[in-house]
Amino acid sequence: MVREECKALLDALNKATACYHHLVLTVGGSADSQNLREELQKTRQKAQELAVATGSLLTTALRDKHLDAEERSEFQRLWVAFSGCLELLEADMQRALTLGTAFPLHAPRRPLVRTGVSGRSASVAARALSVRSLRHDAEPDFDVEDLRKLEREILQVGKMIHDMEMKVNVPRWTVQARQAAGAELLSSAGASTAGFLSVEERTGRCDLSKALAATVFSAVLLAAIALAVCVAKLS
Amino acid sequence: MLISAHTDPATRPGPWNQDPGWGRPVGQPLNALFAQMERMVLSMQDPDQGVKMGGQRLLITVIPHAVTGNDIVEWLIQKYCISEEEALHLGLLLLRHGYLYPLRAPCSLVLQLDGTLYRFQTPYFWTSTLWLATELDYAIYLAKKNMQKQGALANHEKEHYDQLHRKIGHTWDLVVMQAREQLRAAKQRKKGDRLVIACQEQTYWLVNRPPPGVPSVLEQGPERGACIVTRGQMTKNMDFYKWEIEYCRKALGRIRVKSSVCLEAYLKFSSQHGPHDPITSGCLPSNPWITDDDTYWAMNTSSVAVPTKLRVERWGFSFRELLEDPVGRAHFMDFLRKEFSAENLSFWEACEELRHGGQAQVPALADSVYQQFLAPGAARWVNIDSQTMELTLEGLCRPHRYVLDDAQMHIYMLMKKDSYPRFLKSDVYKALQAEAVIPPETKRRVFPFVWRPRHSSPRPALLPASASASASGDTAAAAHGPGGGDGEA
Repeated sequence: MVREECKALLDALNKATACYHHLVLTVGGSADSQNLREELQKTRQKAQELAVATGSLLTTALRDKHLDAEERSEFQRLWVAFSGCLELLEADMQRALTLGTAFPLHAPRRPLVRTGVSGRSASVAARALSVRSLRHDAEPDFDVEDLRKLEREILQVGKMIHDMEMKVNVPRWTVQARQAAGAELLSSAGASTAGFLSVEERTGRCDLSKALAATVFSAVLLAAIALAVCVAKLS
Repeated sequence: MLISAHTDPATRPGPWNQDPGWGRPVGQPLNALFAQMERMVLSMQDPDQGVKMGGQRLLITVIPHAVTGNDIVEWLIQKYCISEEEALHLGLLLLRHGYLYPLRAPCSLVLQLDGTLYRFQTPYFWTSTLWLATELDYAIYLAKKNMQKQGALANHEKEHYDQLHRKIGHTWDLVVMQAREQLRAAKQRKKGDRLVIACQEQTYWLVNRPPPGVPSVLEQGPERGACIVTRGQMTKNMDFYKWEIEYCRKALGRIRVKSSVCLEAYLKFSSQHGPHDPITSGCLPSNPWITDDDTYWAMNTSSVAVPTKLRVERWGFSFRELLEDPVGRAHFMDFLRKEFSAENLSFWEACEELRHGGQAQVPALADSVYQQFLAPGAARWVNIDSQTMELTLEGLCRPHRYVLDDAQMHIYMLMKKDSYPRFLKSDVYKALQAEAVIPPETKRRVFPFVWRPRHSSPRPALLPASASASASGDTAAAAHGPGGGDGEA
């Protein structure tokens, strides 16, 4: 029971961490904006909430002396994943702090690096928060205050990692991961290919693809004209 | 412009690609270099005076912010007033350090002057702040790539992947989880953005984990630290070389112990001292810190009538062990008396006293030692070679606490080489070994005796008989062996 709960919480934390990573990627780039900073803040806070919840659950579970061996190893596996997740989160938070300080949105404004990313990222944050859409309601200059808050939160996460290590002793080298090498290929093959173009593939085929596009368009156009003619004749 | 200063054509050998140092000034810390490059990249971003940017056309989407190599080089020439060659080199440096990446062939890091498109790296992946890539990050990246390409990784990547799986296998669950989740999160973005981010990530890893055959720009290299040192030494003059020759000569003459011999000695030492280490092999009769029973200490006080077997054994290890133990020294003294050479040990003891005694008594002590042992016709004259004697007599004119060190060492070696082996072979030592006690292990007491320490120690007045017995028990126990302590209980 507790195990499922832990697993679910860990999945949510993992999701939030991944989304946070994705959001931090664009700080300082052309898509950086007030909205992005706000999304960052919300995602990070969500991740921290999840981390606290997961941490306390796992700690109590692992400190239970009457846990049988199988359960214990399962929890230890979760614990290793959890602590790794926290480390990722902490690293990304630190990067967000550095980048946020290096590229302030106000006052002495530096030019943002034009990276080619232009879209909004609200849906990424919404995914992390598990909500349908995100409302932006921060004051215009909240980001200065937010950096200070971020600094404190980094310290908190660092302390949390430390506390966890102190409270629970999991010898990592004994933990066996459930996933073997190449496991990611098995179940998610369908999921990953759908939306992702290979980086190399798209390069160097510009003319060919243009021709393809033109053919498709003209075919559609022809069909539309034929339909129109049909409709006109019938009526 | 430190970078451009370095790229003076006169100092740069050969064509661009074969530049041995990859164009990095020697002796300049990497971080300063990155900061400069970043400043340059940022000034390229200026909306008015920055580099011209166009769009990159794909199938349907147009991704903005692509620059041509030509534009970059032109901008550099204008901004810093440098030659084209130099600007090209500068651009190449930016490219190789991952601040720019080519859109067409991501692996070929060459700045071309035609319409080839490039794009700027996002600050997250800038190398400067030296967020050194962790293994976990790389594993996640490889897992993602593996998923996207259906397992068709490049050979070196496959190798890295397997290595990482061996190395951080315990957290592989997380790697897979994160990789999946990051891909899913990426899908929330526009397609163009997704492509751009994938390219950025790829570029970052190309710089941080370059494929084989490509020198890593982040490599600090072993020669870096060394070249600073040699440069410091280069300023030295003839004296320096004289000193170095002298040093080498001395080093040649120094006796070196073979490591095999060294290790053998170490093994011997360990096997010899193993049983004497209370942590590894426990101590008899019982560990006082655990059992609350102080028999162990009582049996091993510095002056005890019958030493334990282990203690007697220790005297055989080395002469110093014997001298450091008061009981051992006393027995040795007895032995020397029988041999009529006790004055040697007395002299050594007197010297020790002089060395560690009070400052005020030093002259008096030195004088008495001289009168007793060294003066011609002294009562307990010790035999010291003439050279040491001369030195000592010279020193005695102005006595200090180390004045007798040479003589003491001479006598010490004499005893060590001569008397000590005879002591070890003598009947005295054999008798000592035979007499020595091996304390039996203390049994766990049965229930009623658990209370004994409480009753006996705090109020001796109330329990005259047993308390006085236990108070004197320390010495009695030592005298009768460990049976005393237990029997009394």
